[in-house]
Amino acid sequence: MTERASGPMRWIRERFNIDPLIEFASHKQVPEWRGSFWYYFGGVSLFLFIVQVVSGILLLMYYQPGEKTAYESVRFIVTKVRFGWLVRSIHSWAANLFILSAFIHMFSVFFTKAFRRPRELTWYSGFLLLALGLGFGFSGYLLPWNTLAYFATKVGTTIVAVLPGVGEPIMELLRAGKDVSTATLTRFYGLHVAILPAAFTLILGLHLMLIQTQGMHEPEPWPGGKPRYMPFFPNFVLRDLLLWLIVLNILAILAVWFPWELGSKADPFGAAPQGIKPEWYFLFTYQALKYFPAKLAGIDGEVVGIVLFGIAGLLWFLVPLWDARTPRGIRNRFINYVGITVVLFIIVMTALGVR
Amino acid sequence: MKRSALRVALVCAIAAMGVARAWAEPATPPAADQCLTCHLDQDSPEAIAYKTDVHAARGVSCADCHGGDPRSDDQDVAMSKARGYIGVPRKDQIPRLCGRCHGPGTEAFKARFKLDDVLTDFGGSVHGHALESNPGGPQCVSCHGVHSIARVTDPRSPVHPSHVIETCAHCHSNAAYMRDFDPALPVDQRDKYLTSIHGKRHAAGDIKVATCVSCHSNHLVLQVKDPRSPVYPTHVPGTCAKCHADARYMAGYGIPTTQYDDYRQSVHGKALLQKSDLNAPACNSCHGNHGAAPPGASSVIAVCGQCHQSNEDLYEQSAHRGAFAEKKLPGCMVCHGNHAVRAASDKLVSFDAPAPCAKCHRNDGTDTSAPEIVRMRGLLDSLTVGQTATLAVLSHAENLGMDVTDARYSLKDVNQSVVQSRVAIHSFKVRKLEEAARPGIAIIAQANRAGEEAVHEYKFRRQGLAVSTLIVTFLVVLLWLKIRQIERRQQGEKS
Amino acid sequence: MTEPGISRRSFLDRLLGLGVLAWLGSVIYPVVEYFKTPPQGEAEVTSVVATKIQSVKPNSGLVFRFGREPAILVSGPDGKLRAFSATCTHLQCTVQYRNDLQKIYCACHNGMYDLNGRNLAGPPPRPLTEFQVTVKGDDVVVSRT
Repeated sequence: MTERASGPMRWIRERFNIDPLIEFASHKQVPEWRGSFWYYFGGVSLFLFIVQVVSGILLLMYYQPGEKTAYESVRFIVTKVRFGWLVRSIHSWAANLFILSAFIHMFSVFFTKAFRRPRELTWYSGFLLLALGLGFGFSGYLLPWNTLAYFATKVGTTIVAVLPGVGEPIMELLRAGKDVSTATLTRFYGLHVAILPAAFTLILGLHLMLIQTQGMHEPEPWPGGKPRYMPFFPNFVLRDLLLWLIVLNILAILAVWFPWELGSKADPFGAAPQGIKPEWYFLFTYQALKYFPAKLAGIDGEVVGIVLFGIAGLLWFLVPLWDARTPRGIRNRFINYVGITVVLFIIVMTALGVR
Repeated sequence: MKRSALRVALVCAIAAMGVARAWAEPATPPAADQCLTCHLDQDSPEAIAYKTDVHAARGVSCADCHGGDPRSDDQDVAMSKARGYIGVPRKDQIPRLCGRCHGPGTEAFKARFKLDDVLTDFGGSVHGHALESNPGGPQCVSCHGVHSIARVTDPRSPVHPSHVIETCAHCHSNAAYMRDFDPALPVDQRDKYLTSIHGKRHAAGDIKVATCVSCHSNHLVLQVKDPRSPVYPTHVPGTCAKCHADARYMAGYGIPTTQYDDYRQSVHGKALLQKSDLNAPACNSCHGNHGAAPPGASSVIAVCGQCHQSNEDLYEQSAHRGAFAEKKLPGCMVCHGNHAVRAASDKLVSFDAPAPCAKCHRNDGTDTSAPEIVRMRGLLDSLTVGQTATLAVLSHAENLGMDVTDARYSLKDVNQSVVQSRVAIHSFKVRKLEEAARPGIAIIAQANRAGEEAVHEYKFRRQGLAVSTLIVTFLVVLLWLKIRQIERRQQGEKS
Repeated sequence: MTEPGISRRSFLDRLLGLGVLAWLGSVIYPVVEYFKTPPQGEAEVTSVVATKIQSVKPNSGLVFRFGREPAILVSGPDGKLRAFSATCTHLQCTVQYRNDLQKIYCACHNGMYDLNGRNLAGPPPRPLTEFQVTVKGDDVVVSRT
């Protein structure tokens, strides 16, 4: 620690007092138990977000929104720009891995009851981050303006419209018009590269700050009764870095061996291709909605489905509130059952949807 | 009393018609037909002529066409409007009058007298339409004559094969008359016909040869552009084949009857008959229609050149023109044949068996043209074979997941070079062919390079991935060692 | 005990530094390459500036690149501008303007089109596809209809 006094560190210290930060980092500890593995998914999600920012910025260097240029410019990136294929594939793959990793992160928090007091705000902000992530996925999917994306967006935005009263206006707001058009593309582009990143960064900042100040959630009770800790720096950080390296290489392997297809250019007047499906992370909702009857107690079945999904999402979001009302047992079995049901529902519906 | 006698006669006549064979024997006109009686007394030429008319023998009376009452010997009664007398029918009335028997009528009646519904055919024909719009237009009498109408097989009939040319020409060679109906229609058909093989034989008295109606049909004459017409382009080969493919009919003329079969298999026949490409030539495109005759050896070039103009131009300047003319060889036909002409292939430029070059040239070192022929074939092959080989390279790159769309697109331009080379070959000059083939060969080389680069890029990506994976693995192992080292040190500090 | 420990650590650190450098190289190299703009512009286009209006003389033609295919800009004897696909409908050769004939002409088989792109003579079975011509400022812009 003596070498701190020399070189660049001194130069910085003279201008900005970083000692409290270093002090904080050196004392920060991470609980070490069999559930520690799941802690890494928060970090992996963060890393994938960084990858998305970097690869997204790279794509911005060549991407041109617009009906006549969107598809062409993505095609240009993929075929003409050196390593453009790599950047684009990494951006697409990392987007999917991000959603996956964020889902795993969320469920691990749910099952370890890490959302409980005093970490409700972390849960809420995390939930919002996932929602924004899904928004990223939905808006980004349209940007290459290929046939699949065009029709998936058309179907996706139509689902909103079934809501009585507010549905149509929301859909028109999303589409920037009555139909999916160039205006929609521009709108989604704005969402994808400006509004969503700004909102995401703000909430992510809050999320990270909360985690750092409150520290990691500890298991209750400690297995074996005796708490064990690992220093955050360097032990946990180095492990994080190690995992990030592996994740980045997995991305590279996926990009080289399973390059993300571009398909053909969207033709608004063409016939919809067969078997359009939303991205896998929307698939369980899409599939479940299919099982609703056309009419339920006189109301449109789809409306009922969407309202039910809305209520379920809201309840999930508000889990710290209703969990607190159950007897404050150390192990709340009811919460576990709810969680397992949700996981099983998502897995089964996704599997049915893929089939 | 007269009236009752007439009634008996009429009943007898009707009864006679009822007898199946009654029509076969010439029935005497009812003695009571006062029209004939009176008009014959006056030596009326119409009445005299009518005695020989085919209708007279079948019991058709004057009144059947002219109206009136043939039973009355009182002119004022018989030829009174009250009795339906119309006098000389207006021209545009005639088809309806004839059509009472030769029209749609009852089947039983027509079957008995072996009559066809020619009125409907005529009504739908170009002549029927002409009459509709202009009462001076053609009608039954215009071709069949009047009062002495005879069967078509009867040499007296104006529509007998020996007379039909003149009958049609009566109007169709009359420019002033035709102007009122179709001012754009040529009026030289007869003159051309007289120069044709058909016309010459016809003039010599051969009535088996094609006349107007052989191709245009008789009552249902339609415009050439009418797809139902037997002379509509796609129907022309079949129409000619009616006679020319009939070996029995053509026996004695000493010409083959395989033209139609040959033509159907040819590139022209397939284009016209299968793809309905109306630009493709039918028989008349080369032989002429009204003036049909085989093109002579010297005119083949001009005939083919109507469509294959570029080829003709080059051929005209080539060394073959003089050489073929000297030997009286029929130009294009020497290599391409006539009726059975196939889509020309590069294989024509060869010394091997069916290829035409070997007919005159020898590839044994004595012929100075031989190396040029070999070189020209080589150029053509380098385009086609090169294109196929490059496509294979591109497919290989695509199978590897690489995008070579641009190279694929550029290959389309090779087509132009191939087409132009295949035209240029008709100059029979290596230099011309080289000029045409060069751009195509260059594009092929470029596309081939693009394909190979794509394959190379594919390998590069995997090698790059391998290198980076190696680096990451190395780094991961080192990091892991580092972590263990740090933790061991921490352990040491604690204990 | 400490001596070899220190040397092992510094050796490991040095290797680690080397590994990080190599890894950075493998990340930075693609990124730097990515920024090198490739020479060709975009491929598929629906609208292109064919030429400047000043350089168009009456009774002349100009073949230009329209995306992946050639197109022809024809200025008639009256100076009226029209544009067509320059691909002959017969065997896909590229057509040209013949000012002596005042026709669009295909040299492959003497195909002839009039100034409205209609096939007049020779083998072409169909008219040429017409494009839209608009003059924006100095630019003659040709676009798909």
